[in-house]
Amino acid sequence: MSGSKRTDYRSVAMPRALWYHLYPGMWEVFFRSLGLSVVVSAKTDRATVERAALISEPEHCLPLKLHDAHLHGVVGAADVVFIPRVLSTLTEHIACPKLGSLPDCAVAQFGDETPILTIDIDENKRSVHRSMLELGSELGFRRNATRAAAAAALSAMKTERNGLKTCIDREDDYFLILAHPYILHDAYVSAPVFGKLDAMNVKWLFPDYGCESIESGPIKWDACGIMHDALLRLDAGRCVGVIHLSAFNCGCDSIVMEVFRGLLWEKNIPYMTLVIDEHEGRAGLDTRLEAFVDSIGWRNTLDNAV
Amino acid sequence: MKKKLKRLAFEPWGNYAIALAASVQCLNVEPWTRTATTPEVLELGVAASPDSACLSFKACTGHFLEAAREGVEYGVMVNSVGTCRLRYYRMLQQQLLEERGFKLFIFGLGYDGIKPPLIRHFDPRPGPFLKCCVRARAKVLAVDAIEKYAWHTRARELHRGDTTRVLNECLGDLERADSLLDIRRVKESIPVRFKKIAVKKDAIPLKIGLLGEATVLRNRFLNHNIEEILGGLGAEVFNFFLLGEEMKNIFGIGMWGRHSRWTLKRLAAPYLKSLVGGHALDSVANAIRCARGGYDGVVHVCPTGCMPEISVRPILRKISTDMDLPVLECSFDEHTSHLGVITRLEAFVDILNARRTRGNQTWKNRVISV
Repeated sequence: MSGSKRTDYRSVAMPRALWYHLYPGMWEVFFRSLGLSVVVSAKTDRATVERAALISEPEHCLPLKLHDAHLHGVVGAADVVFIPRVLSTLTEHIACPKLGSLPDCAVAQFGDETPILTIDIDENKRSVHRSMLELGSELGFRRNATRAAAAAALSAMKTERNGLKTCIDREDDYFLILAHPYILHDAYVSAPVFGKLDAMNVKWLFPDYGCESIESGPIKWDACGIMHDALLRLDAGRCVGVIHLSAFNCGCDSIVMEVFRGLLWEKNIPYMTLVIDEHEGRAGLDTRLEAFVDSIGWRNTLDNAV
Repeated sequence: MKKKLKRLAFEPWGNYAIALAASVQCLNVEPWTRTATTPEVLELGVAASPDSACLSFKACTGHFLEAAREGVEYGVMVNSVGTCRLRYYRMLQQQLLEERGFKLFIFGLGYDGIKPPLIRHFDPRPGPFLKCCVRARAKVLAVDAIEKYAWHTRARELHRGDTTRVLNECLGDLERADSLLDIRRVKESIPVRFKKIAVKKDAIPLKIGLLGEATVLRNRFLNHNIEEILGGLGAEVFNFFLLGEEMKNIFGIGMWGRHSRWTLKRLAAPYLKSLVGGHALDSVANAIRCARGGYDGVVHVCPTGCMPEISVRPILRKISTDMDLPVLECSFDEHTSHLGVITRLEAFVDILNARRTRGNQTWKNRVISV
């Protein structure tokens, strides 16, 4: 792909999965402000999951499988498909290694059918704002136009994030939900859990994934580092339990779950892990959530009785 | 009476365990290791580990648990600074050991300051330490040399098992070799010993490259002895994880070597433009090298769910179609059936043989260089 050709792109497509949720709402606004029309794949549904099982590498984790399915859905829908190479979204931290090869895998899988547009996102080297500026200039847009688009994109992301429930100090007796942003924001995966919690009248929050920086801890993966940081600052008096929502075969979670378990054991906060896969068994999920919430309720009454 | 030495356990990393054992002698500790995991050890590890951790982690954790049970005081574990899960293995293993009430302390083999913590703790004198390092390096290179001869001979041997016997003899001698001179003597004897094995002279065996994750490539229990199975089926293998070459990458020397990071990066660039982590880049680069070098096929070996290796599988598939290179993807976990592995490898070798008879005949006069 030569540099001059790129300005010919009139439309950009992107899968609504994985990295898309790391910067919620940002990329659409960026490309739209530059005057490109944007096609984002439809929200995950049953068909997406089925397609994922058919076309994706069987040993991938669920979010990566869904990414492949979403990608398959938007190939050919626009002049170019955008997939950034996410190496880090937080300074002094790194992203999951699987995100580093995404554009190359997309080229390997769909390179014959569509050009792939990519940009490195590495907060250790430059801010995502600067990454957007570079992407704009690579696409052949004027500096001022790119700058305005990047600013609009960042503020759009901020508004989107402010609309989400995050760890705020005012709440009492809440459950902390730990999950990667791409699980949290994918309603198909996370909505049954949140729906169940709401139905049980339970207050729940999740860590602030939009934070600029955190103290350097033992966990170097960005989202997991934020979760770890949130757990360290957790007040046992306020937070009654932690629910870790993980996707099947998530490599990062397989390690950090053990670390979190040890940490929360010391803090005396109950911890439950829920692993979600592409199979549709929601009854088990409901039962486990009910049992967890109930036993925490009993814990309080028993403590008071003693 | 001589004071009993404290013991130091480290990962069972194939035949390199012999060389690694030599490297810790200067620390005034007794090495505690094996050249391969055992079923009992793996069982221990599986019981203690998180269920979706990779097979290498489970095997290694089991190894440390076994060591702790036998009262070994110290352990040492690589802690990389990369993106792979390996970075957290030491921390997690230490936690799992402590939770079970074991006293074994695991040192990280990495830099945090000037000296690695292991060296700082034992504080060996520089003279013997350097001598030990030189000796360990010589042993690693000798292991590589022995294995290369074994891969070559096993595919051609007339009597099944001759090569493995000679291989074990050589490794035994190498283990006993204490001085550089002895190591050199063993090294010089290797070609002579392997030449004595009766072979089919005119055979042109299949050439198969083994790529993938380092621990599974090298631990013959974890990979179900893939080298011997393929060798027994008359295929010459080349295992692309060579510690002798990898050492140069670890210490960041030798930019121009055939296996240097820099060379691999350039080789893989048309397909992969990022390091990813682990040995993913190496797998992609070596697959391309195999395709160009006239290999009949490659086997991609990794633990199930290995983060870096699995993430480049779509790329390997693309290379396979683009460059007409058969790729067999083998993932291993604790449930992998040995017979299943043998059947898959047999089928793969059959297909490769059929390709030879049906396809173009260039394989007859090819020159393979690695």
